[in-house]
Amino acid sequence: MGRLIVRKLIVDERNELFDAQGMRRIEFPSEFERIRDYAAEVLRDCPEAFREGNLLEQQLSEIIKNGIKHGNRCDPAKRLRVWFDFRKRVRFIVEDEGEGFADLEAWNEFYRKRQEALHAEDFDTFLAMASYRGPRSDDMDGGNSLVAALEYWNGGMIYNGVRNKVGVVRWYTGGSDQPPAPRSDRS
Amino acid sequence: MEWTLVSTDHDRGVEIRLTGDLDLYNAPRFSIYVLQKIEVGWSKILLDMRGVEYLDSTGAGSLIRIAQALRKKGAKLRCRNLGGSPRRVLEMANILPLLEETR
Repeated sequence: MGRLIVRKLIVDERNELFDAQGMRRIEFPSEFERIRDYAAEVLRDCPEAFREGNLLEQQLSEIIKNGIKHGNRCDPAKRLRVWFDFRKRVRFIVEDEGEGFADLEAWNEFYRKRQEALHAEDFDTFLAMASYRGPRSDDMDGGNSLVAALEYWNGGMIYNGVRNKVGVVRWYTGGSDQPPAPRSDRS
Repeated sequence: MEWTLVSTDHDRGVEIRLTGDLDLYNAPRFSIYVLQKIEVGWSKILLDMRGVEYLDSTGAGSLIRIAQALRKKGAKLRCRNLGGSPRRVLEMANILPLLEETR
């Protein structure tokens, strides 16, 4: 049996992942039908080496989708702001105009139980828990984007205090630096 | 995204070949179709994923719902030719243990 790994979504308003100095910025309306177009637009100048096929586009689309669908609730009057930086690693800050991710702690608890069931090879429980249903979830939500995101964003995935803004970073093997641990010691 | 029924043999099961993006725009349509079929009798399903180049969390959610429906019938969702970033997404989301990979 492998090692039990339980990651967590972290809230840290003052985290360095929210330092947008030197990052480029782009803004979008909240059009659900254009989520993948927005991701492609942000990645237009992204070096090929960082793209990993379409994995980076997929992971960025998930963050944009969360902001537009859950944050801004597809209200076309609400904007989504994306800061991005492709120097040595990939960094994004994505901010919506919603009320914030109120279910963050509940999602962490769901994820912990799901990982424990997987570790125990209790597939009935795991399958029963395979999708997260929060108060605002619908049939198409499953929390799977966040499970994958916690692994993909290997330098951290941090929410601000309001929880309507997320900062992420992915480091790549062979880069000039080692990935630092996410800064979660300040609150 | 398109899907094609390759085989509908009741003993060996139904094989479905998927082509295109199993994403937030297409995956719901596919899962609704398969779930309705499970409701009226399908219990053995094999998905040929060779033609799927892009899969996101909605696509992963669709596979989960199909796997859950099959589990109630005592069956496991089978997949083959799962590779590239779709495989990586399912791996990162810890969905692979729900699937039976076959050749």
